[in-house]
Amino acid sequence: MTSKIFRSIFAISIVVLMATLVIITSFLYDYFTNIQIDQLKDELSIASVGTEQSGEEYLEALKSDNYRLTWVANDGTVLFDSQADKAVMDNHLDREEITEAFETGKGSSARRSATLTEKTLYEAVLLSDGTVLRISVNRASGFVLLLGMMTPVIIVVIVAVIISAVLAHKMSKRIIEPLNKLDLDNPTENDAYEEIAPLLSRIHKQNMKIERKAAELNRRKDEFELITKNMREGLVLLDKNRNVLTINSAAMTIFGTDENCVGNEFLMINRRYEITFAIEKALKDGHAEIRARLNEKEYQFDISRIETDGETVGEVILVFDITEQADAERLRREFTANVSHELKTPLQTITGSAELIENGLVKQEDMPRFVGHIREEATRLVTLVEDIIRLSQLDEQTELPKENVSLFEVANEACGVLRDSADKKDITLSVSGDSGKVYGVKHLLFEVIYNLCDNGIKYTPDGGKVDVDISETEKEVTLTVSDNGIGIAPQHHARIFERFYRVDKSHSKKSGGTGLGLSIVKHAVQYHGGKILLQSEIGNGTIVTVVIPKI
Amino acid sequence: MRSRFDEQLNTLNIEMIEMGALCEESIALASKALTTGDVSLAERVSVLSADIDQKERNIESRCMKLLLQQQPVARDLRQISAALKMITDMERIGDQAEDIAEIINYLEGRTAEETVNIRDMAAETISMVTDSVDAYVKKDTELAKTVIGHDDKVDEYFDRIKGSLIKMIAENPENGEYALDLLMIAKYFERIGDHATNIAEWVIFSVTGEHKNS
Repeated sequence: MTSKIFRSIFAISIVVLMATLVIITSFLYDYFTNIQIDQLKDELSIASVGTEQSGEEYLEALKSDNYRLTWVANDGTVLFDSQADKAVMDNHLDREEITEAFETGKGSSARRSATLTEKTLYEAVLLSDGTVLRISVNRASGFVLLLGMMTPVIIVVIVAVIISAVLAHKMSKRIIEPLNKLDLDNPTENDAYEEIAPLLSRIHKQNMKIERKAAELNRRKDEFELITKNMREGLVLLDKNRNVLTINSAAMTIFGTDENCVGNEFLMINRRYEITFAIEKALKDGHAEIRARLNEKEYQFDISRIETDGETVGEVILVFDITEQADAERLRREFTANVSHELKTPLQTITGSAELIENGLVKQEDMPRFVGHIREEATRLVTLVEDIIRLSQLDEQTELPKENVSLFEVANEACGVLRDSADKKDITLSVSGDSGKVYGVKHLLFEVIYNLCDNGIKYTPDGGKVDVDISETEKEVTLTVSDNGIGIAPQHHARIFERFYRVDKSHSKKSGGTGLGLSIVKHAVQYHGGKILLQSEIGNGTIVTVVIPKI
Repeated sequence: MRSRFDEQLNTLNIEMIEMGALCEESIALASKALTTGDVSLAERVSVLSADIDQKERNIESRCMKLLLQQQPVARDLRQISAALKMITDMERIGDQAEDIAEIINYLEGRTAEETVNIRDMAAETISMVTDSVDAYVKKDTELAKTVIGHDDKVDEYFDRIKGSLIKMIAENPENGEYALDLLMIAKYFERIGDHATNIAEWVIFSVTGEHKNS
């Protein structure tokens, strides 16, 4: 803009300068011509007076380089000429100025000479004796005049050009300066040219608009980031070239990367074959789901293609931690397998015995033994099914009726039931301690004590002892069941509360039991918000401590 | 011009990572086949090995094209020449995984106590390969140096396995063939460890311009 203004100012001043020069020259030329003509007339009138008085002698004396004087007789013959020999000169009667002088007493004319560069001015006057005196002067034409003035003109032009260039430069700068100094952040506070006020107010409006938009965008971005940041699921957005656009913090943890990965290819973050494959598949089919283990954890990857107007723009990867779910699934599978096995074993004994009886292969005297087998196994089945039902009740977390229960009484009750089996093995079963009042589900607490004592009796050799002790503090009741039985090796401690877990892998029937007892204990204690501690060593007996809060 | 070159280098980088991932996958499968005796896994290894070979040819021609058309210098040249060397090692890793898978076919699903040691050794070599590819991805010379350090561990495993297999043959001569097969597998894993070390050395070269053997 500065240069444009400079150019305009400069061009205008040059044009004006030139025009002035031309106009002045032409005016001056006319002016000088008139002056010259006046001078000629004066000279002529002086010369005519002189000639009338003294004739040719005067003219001879007057000879000058500036003028040419010609004296013409009334028949047109040249009587005298100051610059040529009168003898060789033509008759001048046909010359315009002379003819005019003969007719009117005065004549004048101007003629270009052959070279065009000169012009001759003529003035003629009729003398009293009837002759005509003519004076003429040669003068250069305007063009030649101008050529003659070339040097000063050029100097003037150069000076003028330099001055106008400097001024134009300064001027354009000064015009532009307020524009350059505009504060576009606060456009309305400028007091530059009022012509640009509409523009400034428009800029102001648009600034406001942009600010609002930016604020809204920021807010949305914050929202998005807040949501994705607090998501437990990993979220990764990829563009169509599989470069990472966004990755949330959960995903960063899962893939073990940081923010610097944004913009890189996904392969740089994770190159697991299955995942790469699934990303390819999602790009082709629109969706892909896979499970993969990363850093000892099981994850599910849901990958979807993102489309806008039928064109693929990228992909979104959602990562779920399904470790717990996968573990639960594994436990369920194992449980089902165990249950089927446990149910099948007694049923096979029953079918076998029944088949033998049916085919008459059992002697009459053996019959009670076989029927006894069948009954025993059937009882086992019933116990097992009852245990499973109890467990599934506990699993369902159904709300059971709670009441004030004295653990001491419950322990006595349980020991009463177990007394027979204890007596059979000659085991001393004793209950001691406080009353141990808790607010809980009576039959569950019964199960806890019953199962713990039952296990104690089962795994204690004949003549041993099983003690139940109850102590109580302000907040909780501690139940201790200790025996001096065979004990449990440390590597089994963590697992004996699992369903169907047996220290003795042969699922021996010797000890009976369903393998669910301790599992029921664990769930029943958890139901009451308590905890279980196990102390045991091979050969040194077992102490199980159950702590149950009073409320 | 430069941005086009950068793009080509980036594509090369991605292909290298893909090839590395294929190698990791194939040894992981071979190791899994060894511990589970699952022959179908072993078959997948040979499919992967073909993929790895294809990838090697692709990368090779890409590197050649880059060298001829772009005439790279300094760091770019190092990256491309290191890539050319690395793919040879990666391809060998793929081949050795395939060889292991082949031997597993002969074992006919037999898994012995000795495989426990080999499994640990396999885990060690897998982590070496993973780390060497990681070092390449992250241009991490420190990680590359750890990989080189781990090679001694793998060699140690090999010696230990060799010892226990000698004992096994001495005690039960009829187990001789099986023991030799296991020895071959252990040797292949040991070689894979060496290749991972080579890759790590080339990673260091491509970053710093210094190679151990020069």
